[in-house]
Amino acid sequence: MAGKTERTFIAVKPDGVQRGLMGEIIKRFEQKGFRLVAAKFVQASEDLAKQHYIDLKDQPFYAGLVKYTSSGPLLAMVWEGLNVIKTGRVMLGETDPFASKPGTIRGDFCIEVGRNLIHGSDSEKSAATEVSLWFKPEELVSYRSCAQEWIYE
Amino acid sequence: MNMMAVRFGLRVHAARAVTRNPSRALGIGAARSLSSDSDFSGVNERTLVAVKPDGVQRRLIGEVIKRFEQRGFRLVGLKMLQAPDKLLAQHYVSLQKKPFYSSLLYYMTSGPIVAMVWEGHNVVKTSRMMVGDTDPAAAAPGTIRGDFSVHISRNVVHASDSVEGAQREISLWFHRSELVDWEGCDHKNIYHL
Repeated sequence: MAGKTERTFIAVKPDGVQRGLMGEIIKRFEQKGFRLVAAKFVQASEDLAKQHYIDLKDQPFYAGLVKYTSSGPLLAMVWEGLNVIKTGRVMLGETDPFASKPGTIRGDFCIEVGRNLIHGSDSEKSAATEVSLWFKPEELVSYRSCAQEWIYE
Repeated sequence: MNMMAVRFGLRVHAARAVTRNPSRALGIGAARSLSSDSDFSGVNERTLVAVKPDGVQRRLIGEVIKRFEQRGFRLVGLKMLQAPDKLLAQHYVSLQKKPFYSSLLYYMTSGPIVAMVWEGHNVVKTSRMMVGDTDPAAAAPGTIRGDFSVHISRNVVHASDSVEGAQREISLWFHRSELVDWEGCDHKNIYHL
C-alpha cells in the first residue's frame, strides 16, 4: 500500500478528446482531491496501444480496441493520492456504461462499451507498468499540494 | 453578396476536398501547413496557453481546459512540467528589466505548469478575451481571471499576446513532435467552410 503517494494511469481516450470532455474529467479528479503529477497529449502509435492492452491480446475485441485507441489523440495522465487506483476505478464507473451509475464518468457521459471514454489502471502492478510505458521518469513532477493537509487527516 | 458567399464557400470546400487524404480520417498524416490555402482563413492559428503554478495548486486545470474545449478550439499540445529557469527567462525576456521580474520567475518556478497549444480561427485574440485583463480587478466576469483570480501577481493563466509572440512561445515550450495534428468531428459545426 503506497498510501498518499499511490499513483494510477488515467487516459482520456480518442472519443473523450473528440467529444470535448478532457476538462470535465480533469476537473473531477482535481475536485476529488487527487494530485496530477504528469500529463501529455499524444497520438498513440498502434504499437504503443498494443503494448498497453497486451493483457487482452487473446480477446476477440483486441484488434478493434487497438484501432480505436490509436484512432486519434488521447490525453495521458498520472494521478496521485490515497487509494487512487481503486477510487479512480469507482469514479470511472463500470467498463460497460450501461451498468455505470449516474455520478460516475461513464455513467454520466457514455452509452456503449466500445466507446467508454477513459482508461484507469486496475491494480498496483498494472498502474506501475502503464505509468512507465507512457511516461519517462523526468515527465513526472514533484510538488506539495497546498491543500494536502485539508484532504488528508 | 449571396452569390459571392456561395462561390467562396464552394471554392474553399473544393480545395479542402482536394487536400483531404484517407489517413487523416484516423488523425494520422503529414502536418498541415499553418498557412494552408485549403482551410478557412486563420483556422490553423495557434496560441500558447499555460495554467500557472497558482492555477495548478488551486485545481483549476480542468476548468480552464473545459472553457477552451467548449468554445470550439482544438487542443494540439499539452504537457505538465516544472519549468526550468532558463526556459522562463527566455519566455519573459521582454520583461527582464521590470521591477517585478525576479518575483515573477520565483512564482513561475514555485510549482508545476500545464502548458497547452490551442488552435482555431483568431485563437490568439479570442483566448486573450477569454482569459481577461492581466489585472484581475479589471477582468470581466465570465473571463478566466475575472472568475478565478483577485490579484495581478497570481492571475492563474498565461496566453500569448500576438500571433508572432505565440509562434515564438510555442517553439520555446514544445518540440514539433509534441504537437498533434487531428481532425475534430465538430469542425463543420464550428466553422462555415
